[in-house]
Amino acid sequence: MSTRILTVEDDQRIRTAVRLALEEEGWDVEETASGEEALEAFTRTPADVVLIDIMLPGMDGFEVCRSIRRLGDVPIVMVTARSDSHDVVAGLEAGADDYLRKPFDPKELSARIRALLRRIRPDADRPTQIQVDQLEVLPEAGVVRYRGEDVHLTRTEFRLLLELATNPDRVLSREDLLERVWGYDYFGDGRLVDVHVRRLRMKIEPDPANPRYVVTVRGMGYKLQT
Amino acid sequence: MTDATTRLGLGAQISVMFAIGGLFISVLLGGMTLLLTRQQLLDTREDAAAAMAVSNATRLSNQLTPDSSIEDLPTIVDSLTRIEGGQRIIRLADDWLLAPELDRADLPELLVARLADRHSGQMLARVRGEPRFVVGIPLAAFDADYYTISDLSEVERTLDDLRFVLLGTGAVTTILAALLGSWASRRTLRPLRRVREAAEAIAGGRLDTRLGAQADPDLDRLSDSFNEMAEALEGRIQRDARFASDVSHELRSPLTTLMAGVGVLESRRGELSERSQTALDLLVADLERFNRLVNDLLEISGFDAGMAALDLAEVDIARFLEATARGTGRVPLRLPDDSSSIVIVADKRRLARVMSNLLDNAERYGGGATAMALEHDESLRIIVEDEGAGVPVREREAIFERFSRGSAGGRRTDDGGTGLGLSLVVEDLRLHGGRVWVEDRPDGRPGARFVLELPLPREGS
Repeated sequence: MSTRILTVEDDQRIRTAVRLALEEEGWDVEETASGEEALEAFTRTPADVVLIDIMLPGMDGFEVCRSIRRLGDVPIVMVTARSDSHDVVAGLEAGADDYLRKPFDPKELSARIRALLRRIRPDADRPTQIQVDQLEVLPEAGVVRYRGEDVHLTRTEFRLLLELATNPDRVLSREDLLERVWGYDYFGDGRLVDVHVRRLRMKIEPDPANPRYVVTVRGMGYKLQT
Repeated sequence: MTDATTRLGLGAQISVMFAIGGLFISVLLGGMTLLLTRQQLLDTREDAAAAMAVSNATRLSNQLTPDSSIEDLPTIVDSLTRIEGGQRIIRLADDWLLAPELDRADLPELLVARLADRHSGQMLARVRGEPRFVVGIPLAAFDADYYTISDLSEVERTLDDLRFVLLGTGAVTTILAALLGSWASRRTLRPLRRVREAAEAIAGGRLDTRLGAQADPDLDRLSDSFNEMAEALEGRIQRDARFASDVSHELRSPLTTLMAGVGVLESRRGELSERSQTALDLLVADLERFNRLVNDLLEISGFDAGMAALDLAEVDIARFLEATARGTGRVPLRLPDDSSSIVIVADKRRLARVMSNLLDNAERYGGGATAMALEHDESLRIIVEDEGAGVPVREREAIFERFSRGSAGGRRTDDGGTGLGLSLVVEDLRLHGGRVWVEDRPDGRPGARFVLELPLPREGS
């Protein structure tokens, strides 16, 4: 079964052109013109990746993003037209995994989607179970437990935690994490890492304001503290 | 207004005017005081001396007999009333009874001549260097004259003292007036200084600067007008910037469609005829340029509207430059040995664009960058060199202006650049508190050397 991509974009010409470009990659594309339509389509048939334009009539992109996030951990790419940093952070905080700025190169869009769809590489060196204090990560099963209870993480959050957990007590810079988790080069946007770390802390830290596990190392990056 | 007053500041002018006013009033008052006092003193002394002279002359006349000779006079004179500091000279026929210190030659000619005509007279005269009041009375029944000479030097001394006191108070008054003037001018000019500071702030880009309410209704009108002007200016500049921003913004949607559509055509390039492929290549190249132009315009209008903000994060500058060098593929990078410890707080996206604009510029006009280097002492300097023709001295500022590509750029209008790259470099660096310039290569070989300077955080802060 081929990969299904759900797009939400109110501009009909962009919608069609993006669908044509994505179909060139061999993916199935379902187009929707509004947030309401997109939620209905997603409930009917879940997609593998959702592409959401932030500027939508009616229900805005952030709201669509939050609603879909409640329905599952499907990777979400936000498309922003505004250049200010507020939209980017708000989109990521609404649950998006990555973002693109209009106008974007269709090749870049495909690369982003492929990076999000990537399966976690089986790694012979990686232990089958990583235990740090009360936090437990099972890489093969894709499961995280805190005090023995399952914690629900999105795929990107899980990848981020896994990278940190595979290298306990070693500082990973934002750039390292951008490359390993999102497949960006050095020039990726560090805010992706910051917002995802924040989201991750909300789920696994007993006190997210004073993190016990994922700690910030000033001037260097993040590390998982044992 | 003369040149001298135009050169003097308003404040200094007010002080000088106050001082002149103070001086004028002190001179006027002092002069009048002196004049009136002198008149008053002299009148009193003269009246007393004249009255005494008349009374003495009468008594002398009564005691003289036609037979009296000069030898009889001292006895008579002794019985006459004396005035302090006064002396007398008496002529009887051809004989003179002189005062101990005075000679008949000391009598003023004019007075002697007047008495010769049998008229009495009085006058102020300087006798033996001293101011004196001389009264001359002819004794009607005899061939005799009676003169009294009163000393006025005491009056002169009093007036001298008074003059000295008045001069002192005049000087003090003038100085006080000047001080008062300078205080008043500072007070008066304070609102003007605020206006000046506000105008400078607006010129410096802080368009939201406004003047506060003033204590004086006249000044309130000035500050109201000033604020209205600033408001209008701010609105206008923001409208212009927003317009540019809106235009670029509206171009994003069609550009997205164009890029996706052209992307599809590119992936199906093989299906196209040769002519269509050539047309597609043209489309792709200019779409790329169009895209850059729209992005640059959006950035520039963001700066103009004062909306450009830094997304600050810690940047390991050595890693940043290594990644930049990797991106260009072939430009050698020179890093100092201790560069691995340098972490600056900066906007990585903007710095990356600065580097890409400089490398792009070197590509277009300098035959490609040939070296990148990092230097640091009090500040951080990133250097990009090429081996092109270099930039003539007179163009070294102009090339950083918008749509100005220097003479090299002018010759090649079809260079694919947007003409905004270097002006964005300037703005991005200014936002970081840094600057950029171009110079000759230090090794003397032809080529341009662009230097980016960024402030380094102080140790321990």
